[in-house]
Amino acid sequence: MENYIRNFSSKVESALKNLPHEEIAKALNILQAVYERDGRVYVFGNGGSLALATHWVSDFNKTVFGHSEGLESRTKRFQAIRVPTTEEELTAWANDVGYDMVFAGPLQNYLQDADVVIAISSSGNSPNVIKAVELAKARKVAIIGISGFDGGKLNELADAKILVKTEKGQYGIVEGVHGVILHLMTEYFKDYFDHLADGGGGN
Amino acid sequence: MISREDRQLTSGKLSFTIIFMIVVRAPMRIGFVGGGTDLPDFYHRYPGQVISATIDKFVHVVINRTPLVDKISARYSIAETVDSPNELQHTRIKAALLDLGIDKGLEIASFATLPVKTGLGSSSSFSVALMKALNAYLGKKLDKYEAAEAAARLEIQLVGEPIGKQDQYAASFGGLNMFKFNKDDSVEVKPILLDYRKRLDLENHILLFFTGITRAASSVLTEQKSNIDKKFQTLKEMADSIPEFSAMLLEGDFRSLGEMLHDGWLKKKTLASNVSNQTIDKLYDAGMRSGAWGGKVTGAGGGGCVMFISPVEKKAAVRDAVARAAKEHDLKEFKEIPIHFVQSGAEILYNGDQLPTTLA
Repeated sequence: MENYIRNFSSKVESALKNLPHEEIAKALNILQAVYERDGRVYVFGNGGSLALATHWVSDFNKTVFGHSEGLESRTKRFQAIRVPTTEEELTAWANDVGYDMVFAGPLQNYLQDADVVIAISSSGNSPNVIKAVELAKARKVAIIGISGFDGGKLNELADAKILVKTEKGQYGIVEGVHGVILHLMTEYFKDYFDHLADGGGGN
Repeated sequence: MISREDRQLTSGKLSFTIIFMIVVRAPMRIGFVGGGTDLPDFYHRYPGQVISATIDKFVHVVINRTPLVDKISARYSIAETVDSPNELQHTRIKAALLDLGIDKGLEIASFATLPVKTGLGSSSSFSVALMKALNAYLGKKLDKYEAAEAAARLEIQLVGEPIGKQDQYAASFGGLNMFKFNKDDSVEVKPILLDYRKRLDLENHILLFFTGITRAASSVLTEQKSNIDKKFQTLKEMADSIPEFSAMLLEGDFRSLGEMLHDGWLKKKTLASNVSNQTIDKLYDAGMRSGAWGGKVTGAGGGGCVMFISPVEKKAAVRDAVARAAKEHDLKEFKEIPIHFVQSGAEILYNGDQLPTTLA
């Protein structure tokens, strides 16, 4: 038992040690630019990745502006939205059109020029995720790609290529580390706005 | 999907794609080091390199379709309404419209946070925003490289301005970046990734003053261009200093950054006779004597803004001294410009080109 736990932990540790720092930094800059222009962040993925997307959206929306000065004192917003926004939309697209359209279908309605997407896929090859990413690409909307294994097509297409490199099929490790990266993104902006609220802006 | 053609004029009724305006904005920029090595006469011989950062001062371009008026209007510091683009006085709007084959039914207006010719790259910011907006109007979205290249082509090839490509790239990409200009005319973009603390810290060490002296970059760059042979070694040294400047930015070593800026400014002053003048030298010396670590004149030189990197505790003294020098030289429009860095590049803020509407 001890060995099993140690073995799993060491895989997680090694994935964490090899995080693509520069690509995560690029993703933070992409989000910063979206904030500056009042755009929105659309997030999606399948299964556990959809759970991560929903978790991130709720954390991000609540945490980033949900403290210190609050919303009243701000004119700008910073909104993250999971796609699709309802299970009804998801099942309608899946049933009526096809499973490959569950993200691209709703997204083509939401997506504006000032927005950005975060696509989460452990394999990086989920056809429905790639379809939505291709839509964003065609509209020249920036893509943050969070992938695992060898990164797949998502890692090729993304502007910020956040790949948690593992052996194929290591979903637990990939999704766990994805969760950490997503928390890092929330914490960064929480700290940033706290710092500004404390008068750390200077000049 | 309804194609653009399907939405056009149909028999009996006047059917238009009504565009409820397109609004594009592009940021201005501060060039730190390497300016001048982005001129083709240099980078065709040796790779040019610059570092710049976009700031929270923007040029907005607004486009409005006027289906019932067969004219072209351009509104900037003046307003022009003409029957065809050929008659426009605004060289870049004229060249862009002729090149894209847009001949009537359009209003183009620009709005900027700061006046032109401040050395903050606003004219190229305008060009990037214009090309992005006009292409969106034609149903084509440009990515960052395409927008930068379209603006560079407009300014350098179509209008024939003697300028480089750094400002178009800075405005299109946004953020703090290192740009490398290669012999084959390709451009490499490398972001310098500072976290918010370092970025705010850098802001806090920078002072920017508008001298009140305005000039067209082309007046300085024309001479600089003809001097490239003579000044090749100096330009090469400027380009070669870029990796070190980037490293100092990442370290947050503001004293070294200031000193490198000062060194770059002294080099730049030798590139053409009109990069500086007596008044600018006086302002610069006043800041340096009051404790700034270094500085430069932004943009091509000859006027525009003076920037300093200074210890935080010396900022008040630098402010006072530079303001006093400006008063002595009767610079009525002299003003400090507070700045924040932005990550935004050229962006379509609003695109109303979504709804097909029929006018009965």
